[in-house]
Amino acid sequence: MTAAALSLRGLGKDYGARTAVGAIDLDVVRGECLGLLGPNGAGKTTTISMASGVVTPTRGTVAIGGVELARDPRGAKQKLGLVPQELAIYEELSALQNLAYFGALYGLAGKTLADRIAWALGVVGLRDRAGEQVKRYSGGMKRRINLAAGLLHEPELLILDEPTVGVDPQSRNHIFETVRDLNARGMTVIYTTHYMEEVEALCDRVAIVDAGAIVATGTVAELIAAHAGKGVELELAGEPAAIDRAAAAAAAHGTVARDGGTLRVVPAGGLAPVIAAVEEAGAAIARIQSRQASLESAFLALTGKTLRDAP
Amino acid sequence: MIAAAVTKDVALLLRDRGALISLFLLPIVFIVVFGSMFRFGGDSGKPRPIAVWYAAGGPGEKIVKTLDATPGFRAEVLASADDVRAGVAKETYPAGLIVPARGLVELSIDLGAPVQVRGPVEGALTGVVMRALAPVDLSAMPPLVEAVTPPGIASPMKNISSFQVTVPGNAVLFGFFIALTVAMAFTGERRTGTWRRLLAAPVPRSHALLATLIPYYLVGITQLAFLFGIGAAAFGMQVAGSLAALVVLSLAVSLCAVSLGFLMAAIGGSEKQLGGIGSVVLLVMGMLGGCMFPRAFMPQFMKSIGLGVPHGWALDGYYAVLVREGTTVADVAPSIAALLAFAALFAGLGLALFRFER
Repeated sequence: MTAAALSLRGLGKDYGARTAVGAIDLDVVRGECLGLLGPNGAGKTTTISMASGVVTPTRGTVAIGGVELARDPRGAKQKLGLVPQELAIYEELSALQNLAYFGALYGLAGKTLADRIAWALGVVGLRDRAGEQVKRYSGGMKRRINLAAGLLHEPELLILDEPTVGVDPQSRNHIFETVRDLNARGMTVIYTTHYMEEVEALCDRVAIVDAGAIVATGTVAELIAAHAGKGVELELAGEPAAIDRAAAAAAAHGTVARDGGTLRVVPAGGLAPVIAAVEEAGAAIARIQSRQASLESAFLALTGKTLRDAP
Repeated sequence: MIAAAVTKDVALLLRDRGALISLFLLPIVFIVVFGSMFRFGGDSGKPRPIAVWYAAGGPGEKIVKTLDATPGFRAEVLASADDVRAGVAKETYPAGLIVPARGLVELSIDLGAPVQVRGPVEGALTGVVMRALAPVDLSAMPPLVEAVTPPGIASPMKNISSFQVTVPGNAVLFGFFIALTVAMAFTGERRTGTWRRLLAAPVPRSHALLATLIPYYLVGITQLAFLFGIGAAAFGMQVAGSLAALVVLSLAVSLCAVSLGFLMAAIGGSEKQLGGIGSVVLLVMGMLGGCMFPRAFMPQFMKSIGLGVPHGWALDGYYAVLVREGTTVADVAPSIAALLAFAALFAGLGLALFRFER
């Protein structure tokens, strides 16, 4: 049996008395593109930091391609490429100088390094600007060179941490295409994001992370089928205090996310009790709109919050 | 991997105008300024002028002759006693002699000046007057005192230039500023995320540390070589002792400075905090160690405190190598040992406090 590209067992991290990640179990199948979806602060970055050897776990184990990280860190890390959330590049240097340094960290040298640099630059479409200082690049180009630096050693597993934050649509599309292409060539990809549409567009499977735990895994279709009951959007009118009471009352009959005077509700057992509870709380319903079952409503049902308004 | 890190950091340094100025250009400016302020000895060229007025019929002419025969001084006869006093008050002359026809000779000198500055001039001029007015010819007497360097101290070279003091003083002061560059490099790597990338790479954490420290050690050595090279080529600084001693001392100074930078990085803080607090700490260490004002001129208490910082030991070693003929590596071994001990202390504390994951 082939080992999983990444296997996390009981993986957790405490910072003093605060638990950032509880005890995560996760297997990433070779060749798949797994989306790690969760709001900011959910524990996605801590999880992938532990998985990539950047942060030492408080508990649990990590195996990359069957190689246990704690026992053979060099062997395990050689299989992994990390694209951090920050622009982890030297902006004063050229793309070529950056890639030469990061390639050397993986033991690449001479012609092999030159060939890998040329390939990575080609993948991200920056071959013609390779000699320029990175600080002269646009935000999207910087993101692309950040990605190229994680690809140089052709890792079996590529972890991308929020790779499209702050990029223009053109570069975003380019990054999407690159990730799709790499995945199609057999590279396993873990893609963390808090953008629902990115996961829907790219990932075979999704792991939803909230409050330091994986609350569900499955394909987008599986998650919607299992967790996304049909939702409604209620636009309320009335005193703020009445709307507060209405939101609390509605929460007794389903999962509720609030955005000002609007409640997004996935009812636990029909819409009627929700409406009754809202009206009893003294708020008037100005508008009711039904919402299609979606990954967003599944996320709402699982976590009780929307991705956008989560902290 | 270390070679790649060196290449990367050198490329970064070459693009960092601020760091280049503070590591290489600013020390030269300081050497020139301090070298001009502390002009003494061989490079001062001319003897110091002493203003003299004397009344006719007195011993004035004899005093002028004796003064002109005294090494380091020459007499400049003025028209009146008030001219002498005015010249001293305006600091045109370090001191003046007003010689009446008979009676007490007036030594005009700023009694408010530090005794370290005033004392040698006052003593020398008192001696001049005593010799001139002695009832017997003192020059015919056999010498009563002979200055001899005690055993264990190599003889100082003749014509010591002020740059023999200001070049090592500023080389040490600015050599230790590489500590700030090291600490800032760690902070910058953490801020940009390149540190995360380094930790995710198949590189042992000890190598990740060395990859950040070794390039700056090499830059530190280059900086000292540059400053001593400029000192010799442009300012006539000479090396009285062995070149090997100078090299070994410089290797120890750079190691100590980089270790201090590692400790500063381990203590942490933002780049702004490091720039502010770190600079002040390094300046104070430099002052205590005698980089700006030689410890030899400090009170005994301050001299002892100066050995509580590596700068003091480094300068003791450099002065010996630059000024005392025949100084070998063995002669500066105490300085080298102290610098290595400081380096070990800084590195040890740094390792204890450093957090790879922050």
